[in-house]
Amino acid sequence: MDRRGFLKFAAGGTVGLVASPIIWNTLYDAVYWTQNWGWIPRLKKGASEYLPTVSKLCPSGTGFLVRTVAGTPVRTLSDRNNPVSHGSMTALAAAEAELRVSPARLKKPLRRSPDGAYVAISWAEAEKLLKEHMQAAGSSVAAFSGDPTTSINEVLSAMLYQRGSADFYLMPDEEQPAAAAWTAMGGQGRLGYDIEHSDCVLAVGAPILESWGVVAANRSVFNRTHPAGGTPAQTFVYASPVQNNTAAGADLWLPIKPGTEMALLLGIAHLLIKAGKSGFAAGLPNFAGFAAAYTPEKVTAITGVPADRLEAAVKALTGAKKPLVIAGSALGSGGAAGPVMAAIAVNMLLGSVGREGGLVDMPFPSPVVNGAAEYRHLLTRSLVRYTQSVAAGKTSAPKMLIVYAANPVYALPSDAGVRETLKKAGFSVAVASFMSETCEACDLVLPAALGMEAFDDVLTPYGSGLTTYALARPVAKPFAEARSAGELFIALAQEVGVDLGVKDMPELLYKRAYALGAPFRAMLESGTVHTAVEKGPVSPLFYNWEAIKAAASAKAADAPLQIAPVVVLGMGTAQTAIPPFATKVVTEYQLAGKLSVAQMNAATAARLKVKDGDLLKITAANKVETTVRAAVFEGVMTDTVSLTAGLGHTAFDQFSKGKGANVVTLTSISREPGTNLPVWGNADVNAARA
Amino acid sequence: MSSEVKEFKIKWGMVIDLDKCTGCGACMVACQAENNVAPAVDGSNKLRSLNWLKVFRLSNHKPFPDHETVYLPRPCMQCGKPSCVAVCPVIATDKREEGGIVSQIPPRCIGCRYCMASCPYHARYFNWYDPKWPGDLAQALSPDVSTRMRGVVEKCSFCHHRFMSAQAKARANGQDPMNLPDGAYVTACTEACPNGAITFGDLNNPAHKVHELIKSPYAFRLLERLGTDPQVYYLSKREWVRREGDNYLENEKTGEAVIK
Repeated sequence: MDRRGFLKFAAGGTVGLVASPIIWNTLYDAVYWTQNWGWIPRLKKGASEYLPTVSKLCPSGTGFLVRTVAGTPVRTLSDRNNPVSHGSMTALAAAEAELRVSPARLKKPLRRSPDGAYVAISWAEAEKLLKEHMQAAGSSVAAFSGDPTTSINEVLSAMLYQRGSADFYLMPDEEQPAAAAWTAMGGQGRLGYDIEHSDCVLAVGAPILESWGVVAANRSVFNRTHPAGGTPAQTFVYASPVQNNTAAGADLWLPIKPGTEMALLLGIAHLLIKAGKSGFAAGLPNFAGFAAAYTPEKVTAITGVPADRLEAAVKALTGAKKPLVIAGSALGSGGAAGPVMAAIAVNMLLGSVGREGGLVDMPFPSPVVNGAAEYRHLLTRSLVRYTQSVAAGKTSAPKMLIVYAANPVYALPSDAGVRETLKKAGFSVAVASFMSETCEACDLVLPAALGMEAFDDVLTPYGSGLTTYALARPVAKPFAEARSAGELFIALAQEVGVDLGVKDMPELLYKRAYALGAPFRAMLESGTVHTAVEKGPVSPLFYNWEAIKAAASAKAADAPLQIAPVVVLGMGTAQTAIPPFATKVVTEYQLAGKLSVAQMNAATAARLKVKDGDLLKITAANKVETTVRAAVFEGVMTDTVSLTAGLGHTAFDQFSKGKGANVVTLTSISREPGTNLPVWGNADVNAARA
Repeated sequence: MSSEVKEFKIKWGMVIDLDKCTGCGACMVACQAENNVAPAVDGSNKLRSLNWLKVFRLSNHKPFPDHETVYLPRPCMQCGKPSCVAVCPVIATDKREEGGIVSQIPPRCIGCRYCMASCPYHARYFNWYDPKWPGDLAQALSPDVSTRMRGVVEKCSFCHHRFMSAQAKARANGQDPMNLPDGAYVTACTEACPNGAITFGDLNNPAHKVHELIKSPYAFRLLERLGTDPQVYYLSKREWVRREGDNYLENEKTGEAVIK
């Protein structure tokens, strides 16, 4: 071929190729096949439904709409018709549809074999084991529940009580110390808070916009009282050692040394009395005399709260028409009763008891199951006292121990004796939805359905000012072989001859609704939520200054450094760990790789001789050591390091396991003077650059 | 960059009141679930995780105890003059639909990442790896947004599928799909925010709340003086927060020297 022929061939070939569909089809196929890889999941199509129910994983029982596609939940969405949350929901509840199918979800009953490995067994085998051990245990049975709002507790407690065991315990939470405080001050009902109608809220230690009380409702109030771009209708003052999420919403932040909440409240009480706020009740002169010692100078020295902010907080309270003071703990458990007593006293001074926007004396619910424990009674029984006693050999270990919806191995300090109790128990059973640290310490693990998969309920969580009752309705099939825990326990009770007076969960929930005067049919069919304003007479309160004085005598922190834990609800609870769809909520100032991040201000960092990013070895008073990454953040009290709770899991799945340190392991249990309640949460530590 | 700000009859926009945001992360979770963004095992690694909406923590840079902190959720700004659109060689991202939402079509994207380099808000993310939904997690995929593949860029779409759904609903009800009432179309993050910090609506429609909110003396936009004309506004009564929105000289006040 000559040159001209070659050029003709090349030109003809090029024109022919361009004119032919070969190039375009090849390009199309390349695009199509390189972007339709088989391992990229396809979407499920089908009819969508939006079904109202409530979360049983979020401690505040957030109401939400579950969006199902062809029967499978794909989203949880805010429910504007919910009279409690008014459309607010928590980050944890927002992740619940994905939590339902997370890798940590339990699929089958598991039995621990002699070599320690878990073997899947059938439900029939599991039920047989349960029945045999229950019958063999006689009255030597104990049960722990991590869900204070469910009626399933009545089934469990009735089963134990009728068989002669009183060892049914709720996991420690905010309400137990609060109930002790309310009782000490003369309260006869259940302590409630009308946050909605207050025009000035002072929260001391209680992160009311993140994890304390009915968070979704608290946030809804915050939303409605703080219009976008407008003037707030409610002043919010918040005292805590760390500028956490709640502090970001506060109009005034009071930086406070960990564990000095009581001194702050007594200092406020003193200034209020000086300002003429002295709601009369028995014991006022003695209380005023005791509080007089807490002068602003002394309070500033003890708490570290700058004098001008203390003054501003008092001014906000005295200037408000309906002020409300709330005390609580950062961790949500292990708090002391003393600060709550002091907060009740401050509310009494302000006249904020039994009036709109103040403390509410609510009725306790009555049991509807034959022989079940009274909720009021359960609040006085301490799980930690029991496990410590069993661990120490002072109380005989139960032959059978049932742990329902709780993860005490992770959530409680190591000196609580939970691991020892589980080891000593003849046969331990975990009924849970996720493979937690506690499941890994039990002989039998049973997969429980979630709130959106089975009948359950949420009865007035602590922190509410209203009686509320919501049904968790099965809007989806249980995942894998998960079963309703309520039905499981009712069937077990029937097997061992216990007469509960109810045959299944719907009947139990019907009885509960009937006792409350709630519209059961509407709740069942359309997810209606029942609320009732309590307008009963207020208990005759008195200033129990002796109890307050005793609690105030608690030993002050004496280590050079304190730990201030911060709870972020988006990072899950002890039962859920970090939801797969919430790992991105975990920030670089909470977790760095596998290490927890310790935030501290520049003055603390200088004293510890660390810089941003340095490794820091923390040694707690209980000799537990942990290495963390230091981060300088000026929103932390001096001589305090802030660590995020919810990390350091050794169980669950890849989204939670092996990430950071569990802050609870650094804390130790002590007894509060006067009430003798087990308390923990703050920790004296030493730290040095690693 | 295209020389003109693109104007539309409908301009969907967001107003985020930073004084109301407490950084809880519900918006991030809702966004991820709604738009089928794969979960990350280590989400704290912000270089490797995809966040269509990311909440930043801001500081007033003052020492303790005068320190203040604010959380700033950052979606795609849906700029009126989007720098990403101008640099995309394959028109995988464009701004031409009524509503003013900057589109992103993953199957058309060739992964050159020019748009990421040009976006001043770091609102775009690249799929370096195949997205993974371990175990049974894929069961919870939302049916509205296709999953993306390795090698493409993705970003916030203002939940565009919800816009289409609201329009379809309006048509079915005999209403004007081009004049949706306030609240008929909101993004997943707006809906999920428990504090009501995010308000969403048509910036051009006087019947929508955002129309008034953007006139607030406390309203500002991020890097406003770059001239990108973002459709996301922020509100804060605190001067230091507004100053964080752009690079101001010490003697400059916020709200001044805005390029029109």
